[in-house]
Amino acid sequence: MIPRQVVPEVAAAIRTSGLGKRYRRVTALSDCTITVPEGRICALIGPNGAGKTTLLRLLAGLTRPTAGELAVNGGIPRQEPAFLASIGFLAQEIPLYRRLSAADHIRAGTHLNPCWDGESVRERLTALTIPLDRAVGRLSGGQRAQVALALTLAKRPRLLLLDEPVAALDPLARRNFLAILADAVAAGGLTVVMSSHLVADLERVCDHMIMLAAARVQLCGDIEELLAEHQLLVGPRKDTAAIERDHRVVQVTRTPRQTTMLVRRGGPVIDPAFEASDVGLEELVLAYLGQDAPPALAHLTSIGDNQ
Amino acid sequence: MISFRVEGRSVTPPYLQIIQQVKQALRMGVLDVGDKLPTVREVVAATAINPNTVLKAYRDLEREGLVEARAGHGTFVRHRPPGPPPGTHSRLGRSLARWVAEAREAGLDDDSMESLLRVALRADTEEEIA
Amino acid sequence: MSWLVWRLHRTQLYIAAALLAALTVLLLVTGVQMASQYHSALTACAVSHSCASLSSTLFLGSHAVGFLVIMTLGVPALFGLFWGAPLVASEFETGTGQFAWLQSVTRKRWLAVTAGEMLLAAAVWGGAVSALVTWWSGPDNALQLDQFKPGRFDIMGIVPVGYALFAMALGLCAGALLRRTLPALAVTLAGFFVARTVVTLWLRPHYMSAVTVTYKLFSGYTPAGSYWQLAQGILNPAGQLVPAPNGAEFDGVPVGYLPFACAAAGRGVPPTASCRQALAAFHGFITYQPASRYWAFQGIETGIFVALAAVLIAVTAVVLLRRDV
Repeated sequence: MIPRQVVPEVAAAIRTSGLGKRYRRVTALSDCTITVPEGRICALIGPNGAGKTTLLRLLAGLTRPTAGELAVNGGIPRQEPAFLASIGFLAQEIPLYRRLSAADHIRAGTHLNPCWDGESVRERLTALTIPLDRAVGRLSGGQRAQVALALTLAKRPRLLLLDEPVAALDPLARRNFLAILADAVAAGGLTVVMSSHLVADLERVCDHMIMLAAARVQLCGDIEELLAEHQLLVGPRKDTAAIERDHRVVQVTRTPRQTTMLVRRGGPVIDPAFEASDVGLEELVLAYLGQDAPPALAHLTSIGDNQ
Repeated sequence: MISFRVEGRSVTPPYLQIIQQVKQALRMGVLDVGDKLPTVREVVAATAINPNTVLKAYRDLEREGLVEARAGHGTFVRHRPPGPPPGTHSRLGRSLARWVAEAREAGLDDDSMESLLRVALRADTEEEIA
Repeated sequence: MSWLVWRLHRTQLYIAAALLAALTVLLLVTGVQMASQYHSALTACAVSHSCASLSSTLFLGSHAVGFLVIMTLGVPALFGLFWGAPLVASEFETGTGQFAWLQSVTRKRWLAVTAGEMLLAAAVWGGAVSALVTWWSGPDNALQLDQFKPGRFDIMGIVPVGYALFAMALGLCAGALLRRTLPALAVTLAGFFVARTVVTLWLRPHYMSAVTVTYKLFSGYTPAGSYWQLAQGILNPAGQLVPAPNGAEFDGVPVGYLPFACAAAGRGVPPTASCRQALAAFHGFITYQPASRYWAFQGIETGIFVALAAVLIAVTAVVLLRRDV
């Protein structure tokens, strides 16, 4: 039974509880409990192998969980036309038939989907000067990504799941892509979950965030709220036990004279020796990801720990 | 009409940038009372930011009394923000540009010009206090 | 859905249609020639009373075309290879499954339409080739009476349709299980070869119990029509099998096994009366499937391969619907 949240104000596009996926020897995802309200653009952040693709595939129903439960658009993902029509999934490798043209894909979509907006695909691609009659395999990576996104949106899904959609795009193409995405959400009735490494892009267009590392959920929530909950404390090198007791320390850096701590506040910080400042999204992400990073990488973000 | 520019790496969050740019446009006279602000979708298409961000900015502006949302028609400018009349900024900006050209011709570099400005501001503040 | 299947495979379908057209033209032209050749030979031999030996003196058609017709044995395997195996495997290998199976069509429906249309295409093509070859072989069958024999049984009648369905189903199943085109191709080819060999060599002779007829050595016996000979031999008076002759022999009995009275006959001297009497105690036997069972056998073998195809499709469905994509 998925535990009911206290007074859910907005309907949730995604709700999971203890979700896990385990292959024979590898645990790809474990104990994942998240909520994504409707109408959000949600960033899915994490290092490679953290479980982002696995989570997206579980949500799309491409793979079945080995533990826990999930509800997508109010129901369990299943092989059913109504569910399939309500989601859009764009895999990292841009799955399109290389020998077919964009126009062919549009026509296929007409036959395979109940409410299909093929005209919007044509309009969008023409506006981007992408040829509709050329084999998709002969388009550039960026153009292919645009075709795939337009096709996924034409399904008019309620939930859009994107796995590293902008990885292969140049900055201009990325901007176009994100603008189209944001516009589709602005038009209403769409929730987006998008995995990416590019924090700057995510900061711009996302208002919700799920952070995964080592197959587990580190953070899940509204970006503004999460940023407000975290603070960077800079102060003299001294005993920090009190702070550590009241707040959750995410990262500590100690030099012989100074202590810098990034904390998740459990309440107000009442230590005059420390100067508090706000935390940006990239800083936050790096701090959390640095927790489980291999020693060589962690060294870069926390110097002089042993002094 | 006003077109927005949202800087990603800026310290200011996007929705504040929108608010600031609206107020700036009102001061400069680019936007006038009664003008229509771009729709959420137009802003989103131009800047690739989250639509909720734009909504939040417009709501804040409405709360400050600067704009009002008319259901089905859009968001319209209601009042100008308190401050100098429109055109002041552009007028002063132009005379400042003339001064800079004059100073450069006289042989001043950027740092000298900045310190001159600082001195002038300080002097003016002291005069006000006095 | 069917539009997508056609669009994805239309090149292959065009090529297959072109090949079929070429084969049709070739077989029609040569078939007509062979038929007229046969009929004139019949007319000629009726005049000279030499029709009995016609089967060994007359060769119809050309070696090249005859060879091509024999090669149609491999046609069903080609379906599995070029259409079946890549079809499902490539959806996994290239990732296009994540497009096809995330439209609003369930995987079940995708498979039903795709497999259904492909199997139909295979059956139609296989049936067309078989019909052509059966018609083309008319004169030859009448002349040689060998359509029940392995090699000719497999390229005429309705069994090619069964083989085609089986090969296609095998390709689809291998593709779904292995998820990669090259291994699926290898498994399909190997599987088809093994299945056909096993059935032809070990199962087909036993669809119905064979008939064995024993006869006096001198009278000889030939079953009627296009029978299928499974075994033949000579039994000595004690009922033991006489090995086949390998060198000097008389009436099919090797010199070493001849009764004493026929010792001279083995050296080419005409047999004496006592030799004839001694040989009368020898018997010949023939084990065969009668010609009348030809269509029953065709039906049984087609049934076997259609059943195999059905099982393979069921496995494909289970694999596709239950495993992760």
